[in-house]
Amino acid sequence: MKFLEVFSAEAKLIFSDVAIVLTIIGGVILYAFLYPQPYSSQSVSGLSVSFVDLDKSKVSREIAFKLNATPQINLTRYDMSEKDAKEALMRDEVNAIIVIPQNFSKDLTLNLSPVVAVGADSSYFLIYGAVLEGAMKSVLTQSAGIKVGKILISGTPMVGAKQAYTPYTLETINLFNKDNSYTQYVVPAVYIIILQQTMLIGLGILGGGINERLGRREKGHYESAPIWMMMSSRYIIFGFIFFTHMLFYFGFSFSFFDVTHIAKIADILNFGLAFITASIFFGIFLGSLFASREIATPVVLFSSLPLVFSVGFIWPLESMPTFIQNISQLVPSTPAMQGFLRLNQMGAEFVAILPQFSILWFQALIYVILGYYYINKNRKKYVTN
Amino acid sequence: MKPIFQALNHAFFSELNDIKNSYYKLLLITTLPILSFALVIAMFYEGVASKLPITVVDNDKSELSRKLLFNINASSTVKIASTSLSLKDAIALVKSSKVYAVVVIPPHFQRDTLLKTQPKVRAMINTQYILIGKIITGALVETVAYSAAEVEFVEDLVLTQNSNLALHTISPIGLQITPFFNTYKNYFLFLVSALLPSIWQIFIVITTIVSFGTLFKAQKEREYFGNEYITTKIIGKLLPYTFVYTLMGIGFLFYIYGTLGWAFEGSFSVTIFGMFLTVIAYQIIALFLFVTGFDYARALSLGAVYTAPAFAFLGVTFPIYNMNSFALFWRDILPVSHYVELQISQANYGADVFLEIDKLLTIAAFFLLFIPVVMRFKSRLAS
Repeated sequence: MKFLEVFSAEAKLIFSDVAIVLTIIGGVILYAFLYPQPYSSQSVSGLSVSFVDLDKSKVSREIAFKLNATPQINLTRYDMSEKDAKEALMRDEVNAIIVIPQNFSKDLTLNLSPVVAVGADSSYFLIYGAVLEGAMKSVLTQSAGIKVGKILISGTPMVGAKQAYTPYTLETINLFNKDNSYTQYVVPAVYIIILQQTMLIGLGILGGGINERLGRREKGHYESAPIWMMMSSRYIIFGFIFFTHMLFYFGFSFSFFDVTHIAKIADILNFGLAFITASIFFGIFLGSLFASREIATPVVLFSSLPLVFSVGFIWPLESMPTFIQNISQLVPSTPAMQGFLRLNQMGAEFVAILPQFSILWFQALIYVILGYYYINKNRKKYVTN
Repeated sequence: MKPIFQALNHAFFSELNDIKNSYYKLLLITTLPILSFALVIAMFYEGVASKLPITVVDNDKSELSRKLLFNINASSTVKIASTSLSLKDAIALVKSSKVYAVVVIPPHFQRDTLLKTQPKVRAMINTQYILIGKIITGALVETVAYSAAEVEFVEDLVLTQNSNLALHTISPIGLQITPFFNTYKNYFLFLVSALLPSIWQIFIVITTIVSFGTLFKAQKEREYFGNEYITTKIIGKLLPYTFVYTLMGIGFLFYIYGTLGWAFEGSFSVTIFGMFLTVIAYQIIALFLFVTGFDYARALSLGAVYTAPAFAFLGVTFPIYNMNSFALFWRDILPVSHYVELQISQANYGADVFLEIDKLLTIAAFFLLFIPVVMRFKSRLAS
């Protein structure tokens, strides 16, 4: 059989299958827009907070003013008691509570270090963190103001007073993703998993479908065509489609959602080629294992969340069991996400991601062999000469 | 027995029999979900991030800088994994993800501190990994503030000879932070209690589609449904999975709040009732996706699009208050988001049951889709 014949037979199998086309073309485009939706506002701000002022003094009003001035906090309720505020929190009317205790300003003048209480629902960590950040900022500036005032009273000149309020300070600098944008955080990694999973589902439906036909003794090119021709046809077809998708994702969608582009285009394409090659052969291998068309979607679907988390960009790898880290390196998306985030989000040189790059090519090699072996095995099982 | 019950009975038991004989269905209700749950649980089991590697550039190498670095290394959250000679080397380590942050101590740090010119220690943190970045920022801010206060306290104590007054001078206003609910500040509870339901709902939808899809693919639907009691037979076929998935839900609820011992303030029965409604809602939605074309593989693809992104829309990782209207809409059409809200409010605040009625009603509202589902089934079988 000639290569072109095999190629067109494979192309026909792929493009006449609604489920495959829906997944590898419709699904990929739909997901590009669906996934970034929750994070469109990028960062957490304007959370509603109830302010319980049990002191009603000048200082407590100043603190309220400073809290309101932070981007994170919006004082939307002024409750008379902590109990009222807590109830409002349970009814979801506010996200947090800030309490200024009784005798706050009196204790302050008596040097008793009164305490401002901040309560937030830590089940929602980002809300909790944002409220805390806002409260810290305003209370600390208030606190520093008082301190400077006191040092001034003690006779130190203004410049000295300002500097003396703490012996040394810490300046934190956000490297990469400077504004803590959630889109920057999630979208690049999620795009890689979408590309891989849709590809695996497509190739899984295809492979499972061929196994089904073999089982039914249905005639077709898959009975006799050289396996290397079938595999390279799939590689060309899926490679072409997903390379285009990749350009669409990392080109158009990235700029549409304002995601940073640090890496050189050549580096992205080079790394992307390794990722797509590894995923295609992984998909061909998986497809050869499925007995029917319908197994691919569930299997691939369930693995998505664990795969995303195994990369270590959400939860540190240091706090994860090693066996999970090792197993996840068998799947292209893990080294791909690790490499891509470093390359494009953190501006690493290509040398720095050579380990990931090599793992991807190594996977491609292994899955070519495994895919070939299993396709051959299935064929021998059903086709009797 | 009335014929309607006979039909229900028959559908129920023949499905059980099917499950027993089908490798694939058995996999879907046992091994696969348990494996996915176990993986997620294992990943987050530690719950508290500790000993996260950072690197330091010490341009002073004084007693004071060593003291500060010692304090940083002593914190449970970070550990100094390496000492870099230059900032460039240090940043390269961050870029290759070997460390998450760099702490830079300026030259003449000790001298400037003694001269009261307030030197600046800089921490450059990889905030591409937002959560990890926040954990490290928090730990560093705390340790450096503590170390600075230590220095100041000693100075003030020398001046005032009064430890209370010395303390007050360091920080005139205290800040007490009360994490209401989930008081443990543990990420296990935060992530796993939302991740398990997100995976669980995928299984419910997929299994329902598999159960009906295999029947239609084998073209046995006419034989199976006949002309009578079609609705009853649909229900009978769904019921075994309703039980399985409700039990599975109860299983992870008790695992988290029972076995692992996290506090559950509210009512288990209300939560479990909500869970039961959620299972039914998803089964109906799955059928709704299936009847769009009665095409097995296509229904699976639709089920995938619908269920896969759910976790991001729950509002647990990213708050719903900052979501746009489309995201809120998508969130609303996922029963699991209402269920997780119910689970959190019951587990954490033990909210009044009356406050939960709207969540339960929202989940139950998906039942209305059963009407078009039955109509489509009837017209399909009649044609």
